[in-house]
Amino acid sequence: MLDDLRVFFVGNTQALGRSADKRCEEIGMREIHTLIVDDSSVMRKIVERSLRQAGLDPLVVHEAGSGTEGIEVLRTQPVDLILSDINMPSMDGLEFLRQIRAQNLAPGVPVVMITTESSEEHVKQAILSGAQGYIRKPFTAEQVKERVLPLLNAAVA
Amino acid sequence: MLLNGVRTAALARSKGTDKDETGCSMTVSLRESVQLVSDPRNLDASVEEVFQLMLGVACTRDGCPTIQEAESVTAVVGFGGLLSGACVFRSGASTALRVAALMTGMEFATIDDTVKDAIGEIGNMLAGAWKGKLPELAANCGLSIPAVITGRDYNLHVQAPEFQLHHMYRFEDQCFEVTIICDGLQ
Repeated sequence: MLDDLRVFFVGNTQALGRSADKRCEEIGMREIHTLIVDDSSVMRKIVERSLRQAGLDPLVVHEAGSGTEGIEVLRTQPVDLILSDINMPSMDGLEFLRQIRAQNLAPGVPVVMITTESSEEHVKQAILSGAQGYIRKPFTAEQVKERVLPLLNAAVA
Repeated sequence: MLLNGVRTAALARSKGTDKDETGCSMTVSLRESVQLVSDPRNLDASVEEVFQLMLGVACTRDGCPTIQEAESVTAVVGFGGLLSGACVFRSGASTALRVAALMTGMEFATIDDTVKDAIGEIGNMLAGAWKGKLPELAANCGLSIPAVITGRDYNLHVQAPEFQLHHMYRFEDQCFEVTIICDGLQ
């Protein structure tokens, strides 16, 4: 379990044997539709900016202010990547994860949680709910790059 | 009234994390660790971390005067679970506008919804970073959704907290205060 958590946090950037910049070029060849779920519109913009700084361009962002809104987006819009907060009103991030898995709304799409909650218990809950990555707020654009790009590259390969 | 509301919300959120794999209730206690929990360095480190990473500015604990501006902005994030209480960020309007500008890359003339959102998120990250300094607290203390208060000439009063940390900080030429109020520790 501890090994799993370590990989979960560092994003396993070595596993693919290519540099993050190289992966960035490969992923950047086509539009990446990304769903960002956070009750804070400011945080949604910061996450979007971090993704662009990470080299995800062209990037098409779909925003949702809660898990409920996120589900609605996924019913009409296929996406390549989901980033979600945990603490949200209406439907929190963990329930959102369970719902998209239960309803098979985004099969094979990597989900990364971005949240202030950082305990091992929260990480475990996120893994059990179907997340592949976890970023703690506050974060840097470099952390977003290290943790998101390998997952995205593996998913689109 | 407000603190009771955010505390109740935080308590509800902590209930998902205070049980072990067998569903037993938590047996962890922080009562013996009150000095560790109230260590002022944890708050300073949390504030510096959040401002450096999210705003890109160095922030130091400083002998800033008490907030003098008539209009101020306050973000309250409640704690529930092993520790009950709140994390409170408060600044004058000009500092709130500067914080929002640094976070978003936009300029603001008034305290609009985006500025309130930004200040609420700062409160949320400060509360999360502070409780994250202690693993027992990180795992067994929930956070409420931030509540943001704006206006003139108001005070926040809490009756006889278990402990309270109240620090003033400075970045650029701006001052703000962060208060950790603990009114219950299990």
